[in-house]
Amino acid sequence: MSNHANTPETFADKVRSIPGGEHLEMCYACGTCVSKCMIQQKVEQEYNPRRLIRMVMMGMEEEAYENPTTWLCSACDLCYPACPQQIHISGVIGAVKDLAVEKGYTSPLETVSVNETLCSGCGICVMVCPYEAPHLIEKVVNGVNDRFSEVDINKCMGCGICVASCPTGAIARDGVSNPDIMKQIPRSVTKTDAPSMMVFICDWCLRADDDLAILESYPENIKTIHIPCSGRIDPQLALLSLRSGISGVLVCGCQPGECHYQRGTDVADCKMSILDRMFGQMDLADGRVRFVQIGTQDRGRIRKEIDQMLEHLTSLQEVC
Amino acid sequence: MVDAARHPNVEIRAYTEVERVEGFVGNFKVQLREKAKYVLADRCNGCGECAKACPIEVPNYFEMDLAPRKAAYVPMSQAVPLIYNIDMDACIHCYKCVDACGKLEAIDFAMEDKLVWEDVGAIILATGYSHFDPSLIPEYGYGRFPNVITAMEMERLNNSAGPTAGNLVRPGDNTNPKRMAFINCVGSRDKRFYPWCSNFCCMYSIKNAVLLKQMYPDSDITIYYMDIRTPSKGYEEFYDRAREMGVHFIQGRPSLITEDEATGNLFVHSEDVSLGKVIEHEYDMVMLNQAAIPQLDQNIMSQLTNASQSPGGWFMEYHPKLRPMDSPTDGVFLAGACQGPKDIPNSVAQGSAAAARAGRILHSDRWDIEPIVAHVWEDRCVSADGKKCGICAQACPYGSIIYEQGKAAEVVTAKCHGCGGCVAECPHNAITQLHYTDAQLLAQIHALLADKPEEKIVAFRCHWCSYGGADLAGTSHFEYTANERGLRVMCSARMDPDFIYEAFKLGAGGVLYSGCHPQDCHYITGQIVGATRADRLKRAFDKMEMTEGRFRIEWISAAEGDKYARVLNEMQDVLDNMPKEELMAEIEKLRPTMDKRSRRLREVPGVEAAYQFSEKMGKIIVKEIIV
Repeated sequence: MSNHANTPETFADKVRSIPGGEHLEMCYACGTCVSKCMIQQKVEQEYNPRRLIRMVMMGMEEEAYENPTTWLCSACDLCYPACPQQIHISGVIGAVKDLAVEKGYTSPLETVSVNETLCSGCGICVMVCPYEAPHLIEKVVNGVNDRFSEVDINKCMGCGICVASCPTGAIARDGVSNPDIMKQIPRSVTKTDAPSMMVFICDWCLRADDDLAILESYPENIKTIHIPCSGRIDPQLALLSLRSGISGVLVCGCQPGECHYQRGTDVADCKMSILDRMFGQMDLADGRVRFVQIGTQDRGRIRKEIDQMLEHLTSLQEVC
Repeated sequence: MVDAARHPNVEIRAYTEVERVEGFVGNFKVQLREKAKYVLADRCNGCGECAKACPIEVPNYFEMDLAPRKAAYVPMSQAVPLIYNIDMDACIHCYKCVDACGKLEAIDFAMEDKLVWEDVGAIILATGYSHFDPSLIPEYGYGRFPNVITAMEMERLNNSAGPTAGNLVRPGDNTNPKRMAFINCVGSRDKRFYPWCSNFCCMYSIKNAVLLKQMYPDSDITIYYMDIRTPSKGYEEFYDRAREMGVHFIQGRPSLITEDEATGNLFVHSEDVSLGKVIEHEYDMVMLNQAAIPQLDQNIMSQLTNASQSPGGWFMEYHPKLRPMDSPTDGVFLAGACQGPKDIPNSVAQGSAAAARAGRILHSDRWDIEPIVAHVWEDRCVSADGKKCGICAQACPYGSIIYEQGKAAEVVTAKCHGCGGCVAECPHNAITQLHYTDAQLLAQIHALLADKPEEKIVAFRCHWCSYGGADLAGTSHFEYTANERGLRVMCSARMDPDFIYEAFKLGAGGVLYSGCHPQDCHYITGQIVGATRADRLKRAFDKMEMTEGRFRIEWISAAEGDKYARVLNEMQDVLDNMPKEELMAEIEKLRPTMDKRSRRLREVPGVEAAYQFSEKMGKIIVKEIIV
């Protein structure tokens, strides 16, 4: 912080003045945040919070606004508790993003959009969104004053929690809309001796490459569907899978507190436990549908979970 | 250690704790608790038969719990004195050790702790340091993953006298690890735990790497670091040698360690900062270099010896550059890592220095101290009349005032450092500080404000910081107002409210109350005493509706000459921006209040008499010191 009042405000000063952007000068470039975050591994090679902080300190304004780090951070705050200098990194990135939006930059991410003919203006998406991206607006359509949801594309991170929660299917984005996922569920499965299984897996809960390799090592009867966040899971998708003749459904999300989209895993937990209770009331709760939360340190747990589930399903088949 | 034990002038009291410390430099009385060893020191010859006979095994603390020890044990094989000890918490009273000891009859189960008093001239604190517990960082998995070990465990595993006889095996499956990662700064340089650099860990991990590379040339060793710090002679060359030997250095603080359950191998996730890429490497074993932290009971020793602690918990030195081996209490010295993380050469240097400092005391018949000590006027102390007070004793950072109701407070002159906090705090003006008496300081204030007082700014400066700041402002040629009139006292704690009232009564335009920053105070907590009082004064002046900025409190270090100049210029601006009539009116308005408040000073039986008294007292005090 400059003691001299007459020096011009630097880029770093601007970022610092936004709540959350403080303490960025404390960064000593240890790289903890970069390796704690999974974006560089999974999505974008150029992603690097440490470098963004450096850019801010060096006054590289344009580069910072154009850097993918500014736009890709989903503020999961996995890095914040690990930062030895206690810098709220997602706060700094958020501050840079605010400045970028002010300057007229827009998010390059693929975001959700609202189909206004289907939207009933119920506001559920507003409640579930971790980023306050959707909000309700009033608009006159065909002479009738009506409420609609509208999405701020600079805030939306594309997690799809709202897609799973929308009762009318009005909100969607390419790749994770209901039809897109339903397409991947087979219409009908021929019954064989080996149980078949559907694994819905969140894009972020498996850190290591060999964990991902485990998923691909299973035979045909174990089918994997990737979803951006376990919060995207709609219990109907699980029911649909069972209807098509699949023996069991496993939904994998991150551990609470480690969700890439802040609270997607909690939303999924809530939905899946409601489904479980419904099954219980109908006397169907036999462990065919299971939700597991896998932490960043649970290397190899996915194999254990799938094997355990398979064993359970085999024992169920024998009973039948 | 053996040399020390053989020296005729060195007595080692092992398994003994300090219970109380009384007295002052040259005349300490120390109470020691000689804990019961249940083995008679004069009979035990260290043969170890008792340990062989003992059927009880407990974890061995010295071996980092990697090996067992018996209930009859010595802490380590090189222990001096080599006298066995029976761990009563583990002992089952089978008395097999008594039989094994046989004719020596060295074991005595009836032994009890003994309390003894010793007279000592000086005390050296060399209590060492402790280690950070890495299980507090869950992402490193220490305690969950057996092959994640600490540096201290590595030290034992790698030691030919250790539990594995020097055969390096990993604890998970007792196989020899080939690929090893060392992680530096575990818990240190980390604001979540300990913010300091632990000083020796870089060299320590390089040492281990070089050692292992020599023993197992085919091993693959990687050191993860944030910065490699090799600031002593020969250290950088050693670092180079490690690189030449093929030790890998990766800049990047690992954020996560995961384990492959089947093999027990570990995956270290980190960024390679040089590449800007996230990397994940597989290792057989990971060693964590923990932070060095103060002993967990360091505060107990601090209270016993009145050796104050720095904010982190280490013992505080008298002066970081000029007297790094002295504690602020005279006659108490510091050696080694109890004062701050230190490697062996530095610890040895400090230990030798501390011994030399202590030797000075032991060889002196008399001990010179600064003559600026406090003295109580017994006839004025209300405690002598049976009233409750003790304010002076509370203000003293050195515990040098003995307060007992019914008796006048007494200053232990040898302990007094002359901050003057008690003098300013005493509500009855019953204490004076030689060479900084009320009379002397008042005379100075009168002299400073003799001419056109409304234009003057009286700056009370503490000797150690703000006086140095003013000095620096002068030598650096920072321009500041010529109306400043400086007045030096030893500490902001000495700045009596009466002086400030007196200055305003005399019509001073402004008063600056300045001293050290809280953490820099030369008198441990003197600044806090001064700051509390200054805040009280500020509130009182606000109530009197004094113009904002005429009375100012600023903490200025000796390096902040620019700040000193800036503060005074700002105060001058306040006076300049005030029309003269308005200022005069305010001074006149406040004069009666100030007069009333400073009147107490003159109740002291004649300020004139104080002059003579201080002269007389000076002689008495000198006599006391010679005693």
